[in-house]
Amino acid sequence: MSSLDFSPRAYVESTIIMTTVRVVSPFVFTFGLFVMFHGAESAGGGFQGGAIVASSIIMLAFAFGIEPTREWLDDDFVRVVIGGGASTFALIGLGALAFGGPFLNYSAYGISHGVKYGIELVELGIGAIVAGVIVSLFMNLAAGFSDEETEGDEA
Amino acid sequence: MTDVQLTLFALLLAFVIFAALAAAFLRDILSAIIAFAGFSFGIALVYVLLRAPDVALTEAAVGAGVTTVLFLLTIVRTVRPGGDRLFERIKWGPAAVATVLVGVLLTTVSSLPRIGDPNSPVATSEVTRYYLENAYPQTDVENVVTAVLAAYRGFDTLGEAAVVLAAGIAVLVVLRKEVYV
Repeated sequence: MSSLDFSPRAYVESTIIMTTVRVVSPFVFTFGLFVMFHGAESAGGGFQGGAIVASSIIMLAFAFGIEPTREWLDDDFVRVVIGGGASTFALIGLGALAFGGPFLNYSAYGISHGVKYGIELVELGIGAIVAGVIVSLFMNLAAGFSDEETEGDEA
Repeated sequence: MTDVQLTLFALLLAFVIFAALAAAFLRDILSAIIAFAGFSFGIALVYVLLRAPDVALTEAAVGAGVTTVLFLLTIVRTVRPGGDRLFERIKWGPAAVATVLVGVLLTTVSSLPRIGDPNSPVATSEVTRYYLENAYPQTDVENVVTAVLAAYRGFDTLGEAAVVLAAGIAVLVVLRKEVYV
């Protein structure tokens, strides 16, 4: 690699970035949840909210380094989030069958405003899938940047 | 649209086309990725002006945000090409194919309805009328887009979620294999 290239050890500790991210990321995370839940009343929904939640995690990884973020946010936990989101969606659909309605017919549950709650839960499930997939894509693409990998490349 | 909005719209479209051309022709991949992020952001603003906030949010979050980060992570592993040229050399074969394709697509533009046309098929369709009238009473949800996505077309959305899940699992399996071998 020439000297101009981005080194694999691209992480540089920066007080400005760390402080900014520490302040901003909780708000971004909350905004993501807001977009997920509030998709029923205004623009938004699970896909958009999930992407915003994932970007708050990616922000943390940029500021504090990818390895510390991976230690803080276990890969298995992210996998559970993805699976949980998918099964929430599918189980809500199947639950309607159990209550004697057609698949995914939320009104079959017989709760007042059941359709609305069903939609919110489904949006949350979609958000979990999207956020989890994006975060683990990021973590796995960034996985080679540890020191052993660099030495392996140079050898 | 008012005159101000039209001017803004024209400026935005010019910016989007400029950013798209920059992304295509810049030789340095990092610059191309940044131009592409600019393109996505411009397109998101275009969607806002066209009153499609749901699509705009997705474009801004996924197009301008997440894909840019994933692209950046990927090019860290590549080597910058030598030479000081700012732009790619134009390959005339692909350029001709792209020009013909753009020409063919442009011929369809005249048959599209005007923006905000009250007689456009979408505005007068029975389906649109049904959803606008019944979405709130039937689903308690004020955003008709969400009502259609999660309730009326819930099964389709389940399929979409399954596609995201399957694609994610497939990519992760491939990536992990590469890392641990």
